[in-house]
Order: sequence, then structure tokens, then C-alpha cells
Amino acid sequence: MRNEIELEGIIEDYLNGKLSEEERVAFEQLRKNDPIVDHKVVAHKVFLESLGDYANMMDLKAKMDRAHAEIDVDALTEALRPHPSYIVNLWRKNKAAIAVAASFILLTVVTVYSIQQNTKQSGSVELVSRELTKIKNSQSSLIRIINSKNTPKNVKPANFGGTGFALTANGYLLTNLHVVDGADSVYVQDNKGESYKAKVVRTDSQYDLAILKITDPSFSPLSNLPYRLKQSGIGMGDVVYTLGFPKDDAVFGEGYVSSKTGYNGDTTQYQVAIPVNPGNSGGPLLDHQGNIIGVISAKEKQVDGATFAIKSKYIQEALNSIPNDSLGKKVAFNKRNSLQGLSRNKQVQKIQDYVFMIKVYK
Amino acid sequence: MSNKLSSSVPTDREVVLGVLNDSEDTLNKLYTGYFPMVLQFILNNNGDEDDAKDVYQEGIIVLYNKIKGGNFELSSKLKTYIYSVCRRIWLKKLSQESRKTNNISDFEDIMAVEVDLEQHEEKDQQFDKMNDALLHLGEPCKTIIQDFYINSLSMQDICEKFGYTNTDNAKTQKYKCLQRLKKLFFQV
Repeated sequence: MRNEIELEGIIEDYLNGKLSEEERVAFEQLRKNDPIVDHKVVAHKVFLESLGDYANMMDLKAKMDRAHAEIDVDALTEALRPHPSYIVNLWRKNKAAIAVAASFILLTVVTVYSIQQNTKQSGSVELVSRELTKIKNSQSSLIRIINSKNTPKNVKPANFGGTGFALTANGYLLTNLHVVDGADSVYVQDNKGESYKAKVVRTDSQYDLAILKITDPSFSPLSNLPYRLKQSGIGMGDVVYTLGFPKDDAVFGEGYVSSKTGYNGDTTQYQVAIPVNPGNSGGPLLDHQGNIIGVISAKEKQVDGATFAIKSKYIQEALNSIPNDSLGKKVAFNKRNSLQGLSRNKQVQKIQDYVFMIKVYK
Repeated sequence: MSNKLSSSVPTDREVVLGVLNDSEDTLNKLYTGYFPMVLQFILNNNGDEDDAKDVYQEGIIVLYNKIKGGNFELSSKLKTYIYSVCRRIWLKKLSQESRKTNNISDFEDIMAVEVDLEQHEEKDQQFDKMNDALLHLGEPCKTIIQDFYINSLSMQDICEKFGYTNTDNAKTQKYKCLQRLKKLFFQV
């Protein structure tokens, strides 16, 4: 009994490393020689470890219980118990997923937006209708009064100006919608300086086109139109020209088709390299044979010689979409082109009579 | 440091270091920091706050043993680990009590923790065995053993506390108690 207790004490000291070096060597020798002692050592070791783990766990549990006591469990329980509302539950469960989805959408929007910004042509488009200053106009109307004393009605200066060209001999004109948009009254002035009152009979905001009708009783019908509307497309590099009223007299401009699409890849337009100025809007774009292939509508700011013209195909579409009766008479271009084969200055001379300056009062 | 900082959930590294250093402060922060998460999970999956307490404490024990075992690597967020462990423990309890377990409502990411839990179960069995053995040991043996081995009292202290006439008597008594406890522990 006594020996057993002492042996136990030695084993414990041995396991805890409390034996001196001599004692340890002696004890290890004993352990080697006596399997019963060895077994006791191993069993005691396992037991002490288990007891140690047990003590640690008890300690940890006690600490956790203390921490738990500090938590307001009831309030938390109230806040976190299953909510009766389906929506709230859905939100709680899928918070992370919703957050991910939202940020993904945000990222996509930002990316798409920035890509769009990048692919956009730099510079913005400028509609080339002319905003006339009062001084300029008072001067020009003075000149007009001197030139044509028989038209005293148009003494008030126009606010805005543009160009238009005849669709029919009886006084239907085509111009850009942005030239006449919001107009109180519209006057057109021909090459000889005669002014006629006109009204807007049709607008097409999709293609920025407007059809005017000269209503003035003093207007005498024109002779047959020299040009025709060319339906088929025109290629890059084809020489084209236009006639317009950036000032009070007609100005000729020549260039070439530089792109088959317009501003920002707009397929309803051509890009042409013709220098234009405010007032050129609504002017006809003709090819070298005198066929109308488009309507000048805009130019790009900050870029020289990038002018945009609405393709003739859409002029035809705009015309077709107009019910016949609303125009009184069907608008039809000549099948024949009397300009074909003429030299450029002859063509221009003939066309001049059919291109009008549009004066808009707002 | 301000109060606000000290009351927030500690960072994962802080927890690991705190556990290794037996910091009670870290334990408190850890415990209060993640309890609401587990409470929410248990409440929404057929349990009450007492279940949550049991499951959560077991989960923390698993984490402690894992960190103390020295092979703890932060392969994921601590939050995910604790959640996954507690989730696993709770689902096991539910199936043992054959309560309804379909449609588990989850609130966090989950990771695989099965290996850790198997190790934990072995340890838990040892713990239960020791607990049972100590219960069956009865007084005053239980207290003597606890005082000597757990509270690290000296034989002299125990001798005075229990009124033994000399330390040899106390040693003999302790020896007898230990033999009985060992018998109980190893036979179960």
C-alpha cells in the first residue's frame, strides 16, 4: 500500500518533469524492466491528460457562461426570431446575394456607360440652322427693301434662318424640322430676293424633316424641277455639293462623302466633307449628276468638315408617310433629271431658283 | 482605445492570438460578437435561445480546440467557420431528436467542417466520461481530486481544508480516491 502510493507520487512527478536527472534515469530503467510500472505510467498519462482537458473545458464553459450572462438574450431573441413578413425573411436570408446582384448591376451600368462614352465621337453635334443677330438682319432687310420695293411686308427681322428646296413646282418645300420648329411664322426668300409667306404643313421628327407650303398669293408656280431624288445609295468618296444660305446670298459648297454613317454611327445619315455654317440646314445635297442624295442637317463641333446629311431614302420615306390628301397633291419628283451631263456651274445656275432661304420668326 | 472599438467584433487574427494566450477579454468579445448570428440561425430553424446557447458554446469549444491544436489556418473568415460549425452541430441535434429539418434557413456562407467535428466528438466523449466518472465518485473524493489536479492545491492545503491529521493521511485518501476515479474512468 505504502509503496503503491509512493510509486504513484513518483509517476506523477515523472510526468510533470519534477524528478531530478538521476531519479529520472533510474525511473526510466525501472520502467523498462517492469512492464507493470510502464503500463501504470501510460495509463496515468492518459488519465491526467483527460483530466486536464476536462479542467480546461470546465474553465472555458464557466467563462462563456459569464460572457453569456452579459448578453441581453431576450432582446436579441425578439429582434432575430423568424419575422412574420415574407419580404423581411427573404431580405435577411439573401442579404449577401442581393448585395452582390446590386453591385453587379451598378458595375454593368457604369461599364456600359463608360463604353458608350468612349465609342462616342468626341465633340458634339451642332445643328446648322442660323440664329441671326438683330443687327445683321436689320442690315440685310434694309438691303432687301432697297432691292425689292414691292415687298414691303417683310420689314421685321427674322430670328432664325435656314435653307429649303422645292419638292414640287407648286410651292412645297423641304427643310429641317429644327429650322422651323416652334416658329410663329415662316417666310421663304428666293434667289431674286422675293419673300413669300409659308406654312409648315408636315413635320417628321424622326428624321428631322419638315415640309413647307408657300401660301403667299403673289407666288407664281415654278417651272418643272430640274433635279430628282436619287433613291439608291451613294458611295464613299463620291463628289457632292450643296447650296445654302449661311448668309443672305446663296453659297455653294463642294466636298465628298466621307462616311456612310452620320453622327455616332447614325445610319440614316451620311457624313460629308463640306464646310457648312449656320444657315446651311435644310439645304439639298446633290451628287455630280445633279441628283438629290440628302439634306444637310448638322455638323460636328470641334471637327472641321464633318457635316451630316439625312439620306435621300429617308426623305422619300418621310414623303411616303404623308397622306396624299394632306398635301393636296401627291408629292412626286421628276423621273427625269435635266441636270445630267451639264457642267457644274450650269447645274448650280438652274438649281438656284429652287433653293430658298427660310426665315423663321419665333 | 475607445469604448466603441473594444465592443466591436475582434479581428480574426486577434481572436487566434487571444485564444492562444488564454485571453478572457478576447473570449468575451468573440462570444458576444458572433452570438447573434448563431441565435438567428437557431431561432429560424426550429430552436429556442437555450438551444442557441448550447450549440454556440459547443461551437466555440470546437474553435478553441482547433486553435489550441496548433493546426488552425485562416482559410476562410472566422465568422464562416463558427457559423458552419454551429450549423452542423444544430442539424445533428435536430436529426437526433428527429425534429423537422427540411428547409434550412441559412444566413451566411458555409464551409466544410466535418473533420473538425469528428475530432470534437471524440474529445467530447472523453469529457463526458470524465464528467460521469467524477459524478459517480461522490464526495469528498470529487472535491479532493478537483482541488489537487484542477485547482492545483498542495497536499498541505487539502490536509487543512478537509481536517486530516497529517499529510500522509491526506495522501492516502487522495490515492484511494484516484484509484476509484481511474477505475470508473477506464471502465466506462
